[in-house]
Amino acid sequence: MSNPVTIIMIEDDEGHARLIERNIRRSGVNNEIIPFTSGTAALNYLFGPDGSGVEHQNRALLVLLDLNLPDTSGIDILRRIKENDHLKCTPVVVLTTTDDAQEIKRCYELGCNVYITKPVNYESFANAIRQLGLFFSVIQVPQTEAT
Amino acid sequence: MTPDSTRRRAFIQITLLSISFAVLVLISLASVFLMQKAREDSAWVSHTLEVENQISLAQLQMRRAESLERGFLLTGQPEFIEDFQSSAAEVSPMLRRLQELVADNPVQRPLIDKAIPLAETRLAKFKELIALAQVDRAEEARQVVRNESGREAMNQFASYMTAMRAEENRLFVMRTAAADRSQSLASIVTTTGSGLVLVLAAFSIFLVRRSARARDDAESLLRENNLNLESTVSERTADLREANEEIQRFAYIVSHDLRSPLVNIMGFTSELEELRGDIFRRIATLSREVAEKQMPENADSDGEPELEAADQQLSEDFTEALGFIKSSIGKMDRLISAILNLTREGRRQFQPVPIDTRELIENIVSTVAHQAAEANAEIRIEPLPEIVSDRLALEQIFSNLVDNALKYLKDGVPGDIRIRGRQKLGFAIFEIADNGRGIDPKDHQRIFDLFRRAGTQDKPGQGIGLAHVRALVRRLGGTMSVSSALGEGSTFTITLPMKWTTATNRESRS
Repeated sequence: MSNPVTIIMIEDDEGHARLIERNIRRSGVNNEIIPFTSGTAALNYLFGPDGSGVEHQNRALLVLLDLNLPDTSGIDILRRIKENDHLKCTPVVVLTTTDDAQEIKRCYELGCNVYITKPVNYESFANAIRQLGLFFSVIQVPQTEAT
Repeated sequence: MTPDSTRRRAFIQITLLSISFAVLVLISLASVFLMQKAREDSAWVSHTLEVENQISLAQLQMRRAESLERGFLLTGQPEFIEDFQSSAAEVSPMLRRLQELVADNPVQRPLIDKAIPLAETRLAKFKELIALAQVDRAEEARQVVRNESGREAMNQFASYMTAMRAEENRLFVMRTAAADRSQSLASIVTTTGSGLVLVLAAFSIFLVRRSARARDDAESLLRENNLNLESTVSERTADLREANEEIQRFAYIVSHDLRSPLVNIMGFTSELEELRGDIFRRIATLSREVAEKQMPENADSDGEPELEAADQQLSEDFTEALGFIKSSIGKMDRLISAILNLTREGRRQFQPVPIDTRELIENIVSTVAHQAAEANAEIRIEPLPEIVSDRLALEQIFSNLVDNALKYLKDGVPGDIRIRGRQKLGFAIFEIADNGRGIDPKDHQRIFDLFRRAGTQDKPGQGIGLAHVRALVRRLGGTMSVSSALGEGSTFTITLPMKWTTATNRESRS
């Protein structure tokens, strides 16, 4: 992935976060990964104290999002990212356990770029994350838009 | 109103009605009897009157005969003889008749018995004198009349007759009184009876109206209860549905949420496994370095570092522990997936379509043909009824049962699996019978429970199939059962409605 793309990882389960990070690293992605374990913390970081998200302008971000969060719904975060003028071009990868067809459809409707169901089996999980890492290393990420 | 009091009331009502009926019958009988008696009494009265009349007539004819005789004796006119003869001829039959009439009366009988010969003697005497006068010996005859005791005889006769009349008068008074009494009694009985009947009728009407009112009350109560019952039932079913949905949701959330930590456990166990390799390689390297320092001449730095015996043991223990963890995780993962699949199935909406059951089962059988050939089993499908139901659910039901039948065959015995079907009262009954190892009757309930299995555990499986099948059959509005004994094969019987609709679905789910 072309530097300097920052990966924002929103995942409430720290174990999962650690496993995801390790497996992404194993696929040779060395970008900065900023982990958040709660939706509120992630939103605060993404949109800043004024909620405009202006401070991330001209940065390249990629959001790795879990839908089942203890405080906010991942869908809500997705919607706010896609509605924000600065962040709407930021790729959002939904990585969650839910494989409900309705949920998947809804996420794509809201503008999510990739939806991945966490495989239950760890081997497949690790494999999926590594492939995601490989994917990250080849995709182009736009810079967030300036005002 | 308690049932006890209701019973008592009904008993009283029946008793009263039977009493009134009995009274009615009694009154009728009494009236008939009294009427009869009154008629008899009247008959007796008229009998008395007849007797009196007969007495008077007899006496009259007697006197007439006497005066006619006297008339003839005095005047000698022959007309008298004719009249006399007709009168005299009547006296005797009259007295005979009188005798018949009073034959039952011990007082009258001696009187009439005495009066008859007296009268006959008198008449004979009259005739004799008349005959005397006819041969012109009238004077002689008149002489006889003057001398003889005819007067006394006539008086005697009259006194008999008077006595008889007196007796009859006495009887008359008595009988009239009796007749009056029975008549008034009859009228009293009739009047009282009518009154009583009216009272009883009024009472019966009252009772009937009261019981009718009670029945109306009970009916309205029943109607109310029915309505209440219906609303209670719908309330309960709503509760049940809610509870069921909650359980589904709960199962879904639990299995779903259990998965996240499980992924961690699996992930870090894999990490540990990798770490294990690193650690023991490092231990081996270190121990070799130590050994090299102690005995440099024995150094063999080219080969792969090898563990010492004690470390080898440690490594194996480590691997064993990890192996147990991994196999347990695998098992847990399969269980959780099974629950997830079940809850997912529970949420699926059924689509009723006409299904050619035989074709459906033939398809299932063709997919397991390979296993069947391996197990040396033959699957026979008999004609099956066509039904309207959910295709996927039916496929799952039958493929699970056919799989089970193939899975649990007796070793060394060629399998014989038969699928039969018939119709009964709007239901289709399917039977999947095998000659396999069978199921102990004490396990018949258990095998339908989730994660429970029975018999020798020599085949892979989670104990989900039959639980799933039963859940599906129930959702399709049917029932299923098993009959089997160890070593004698099993027969699973499934009863499904011939026509399953979404309405029945709602109903059964509600």
